[in-house]
Amino acid sequence: MSATTTAANPTAGYRTGFGDVVAGEWLKLRTVRSTFWTLVTLFVGSSAISLLICLAAADEFAKDKAAGKPDSGDIVLVGLLFVGQIAAYVLGVMTISAEYSTGGIRTSLTAVPRRVEILVAKAILLAVIVFVVGLATAFACFSLGDIPLRAKNVGVSMSDPGATRAIFGSALYLSGLSIFGLALGFLLRHTAGAITIGLSLIFIIGGLTQLIPGSFGKWLYKVMPGNAGGGITQFGETAKNAEKVFAPWTGFTVFVLEVLMLLIVGAILFEKRDA
Amino acid sequence: MIRAAGLTKRYGDQLAVDHADFTVEPGTVTGFLGPNGAGKSTTMRMILGLDYPTSGGVTVDGKPYRALPAPLREVGSLLDAKAVHGGRSAYNHLAYLAKSNRIPLKRVDDVIGLVGLEQVAKKRSKNFSLGMGQRLGIAAALLGDPGTLLFDEPVNGLDPEGIVWVRNLMKSLAAQGRTVFVSSHLMSEMALTADRVIVIGRGQIKADTTMRDFIGQNATTHVRVRSPHAGKLHELMTRSGWRVEALPDDDGALQVFGVTSDAVGDLAGQNGLWVHELAVVQPSLEEAFMSMTADSVEYHAGMPAAGPAGVEAR
Repeated sequence: MSATTTAANPTAGYRTGFGDVVAGEWLKLRTVRSTFWTLVTLFVGSSAISLLICLAAADEFAKDKAAGKPDSGDIVLVGLLFVGQIAAYVLGVMTISAEYSTGGIRTSLTAVPRRVEILVAKAILLAVIVFVVGLATAFACFSLGDIPLRAKNVGVSMSDPGATRAIFGSALYLSGLSIFGLALGFLLRHTAGAITIGLSLIFIIGGLTQLIPGSFGKWLYKVMPGNAGGGITQFGETAKNAEKVFAPWTGFTVFVLEVLMLLIVGAILFEKRDA
Repeated sequence: MIRAAGLTKRYGDQLAVDHADFTVEPGTVTGFLGPNGAGKSTTMRMILGLDYPTSGGVTVDGKPYRALPAPLREVGSLLDAKAVHGGRSAYNHLAYLAKSNRIPLKRVDDVIGLVGLEQVAKKRSKNFSLGMGQRLGIAAALLGDPGTLLFDEPVNGLDPEGIVWVRNLMKSLAAQGRTVFVSSHLMSEMALTADRVIVIGRGQIKADTTMRDFIGQNATTHVRVRSPHAGKLHELMTRSGWRVEALPDDDGALQVFGVTSDAVGDLAGQNGLWVHELAVVQPSLEEAFMSMTADSVEYHAGMPAAGPAGVEAR
């Protein structure tokens, strides 16, 4: 073993930029297995559940349609709302919480001491990756879910009102959810804590708020992140009785603002706290 | 060069680092010594911009760490060898660091070779032994070929060959004109590696000097004499006004303070006493350190009354 290094640094004097931070974070994201497996789960799990639920529901759909009470076509995207939401959210949390649980965050911060750049780079990469995988998953769910429905003549089509918006909206919603997870990960710095809080907010507390009476309860239900953001994934009959929720794009805007607010709080704390 | 001025860190009502002023100069290995909880790691984290000082500040080459244009090219650090994501390979861990500071990827291969991790570079680091983790940490520190290096307990978990390697590495890095700041609790190792020493106790800088001066000022040379007539010799020396201490676990050995070995030998000879051993004992860094920090150890271990002699709180 030689103990010496070259004293001359050929590229000394270089100032790192945001592009270097993004390049580094991209390498980090793609070199842990959990990223790959979470995205595989998102795609395969969502598609499989959409297919299975549509298989199970096809008869009922045909009967209801014959009875003049058609069901909602957005059932084809239902897998995304189970597995997809969870996977996107968990991926967002893990992207930062794993650095805290392993202690790797301190190494990252010695490499990139301008902390907010790490947060922004992670957010951009996550948003893009989850959008792309989410979009592929939404198309897969739509096509697979349509197979059993079509066989009973209750199939869905891209030209159904709101169907295209729901497909792209699902990808946007999952993308936003991953940032929601990232923000909570930065706030709590703890994997299990962030996952528990975020998922119960979306899946349990979001639903429970409709039990609160009066206009406050109605308002609260509308603005809960899962309810506000999830509206963009609906089309067909559900989208018609939209009393309880915001219009799709309004709701999504509310959701994005909520996520951004959390992310900003996360950034401020990330900047201020000792690592 | 690292320069701390009034560097202070308070956690609640506990002062972890208390108005520390010190300078770590280039071209030498500077040891950073202190008992557990004295503030060594907190100080190192503040140098690296990980923890914020409550007041005061610390700069590297005149700049706070966060203002360095490409930090890894200027400062290399090994804080905690386990502070890596175990699911990533050693190569990818280093490649991340390289990308983030736009260091050529070829340099990753160079440092992997330098620390001897070629065989396991593509393996996930969670299965690394402590020694391999330490080598990975050292590789990361050397990656940007920086002018300043910080190592917290670098020889932890290394085998004897690795320890010698790290010692030589530190010295050669310093010889190339770099600033090398190393903390360790292994006093004998520090005595061999460091030229200068900064001692911290209860958050306060107790000494910032050369290794030689530190030992000279904080521990005394003594003479060790072993004789079959130890009792008689003890009495004679005490009567001469010398401070003598018997070493009960070593039959007939005495330590005498404040005199030369010549004087001890002459005294024994004049009185016809046989001497089996006569030696000047140079003080160790450990002794100097213990004597200086005796009052500033955060957690005192209970010592049995009839404890091993030679470990005296002086």
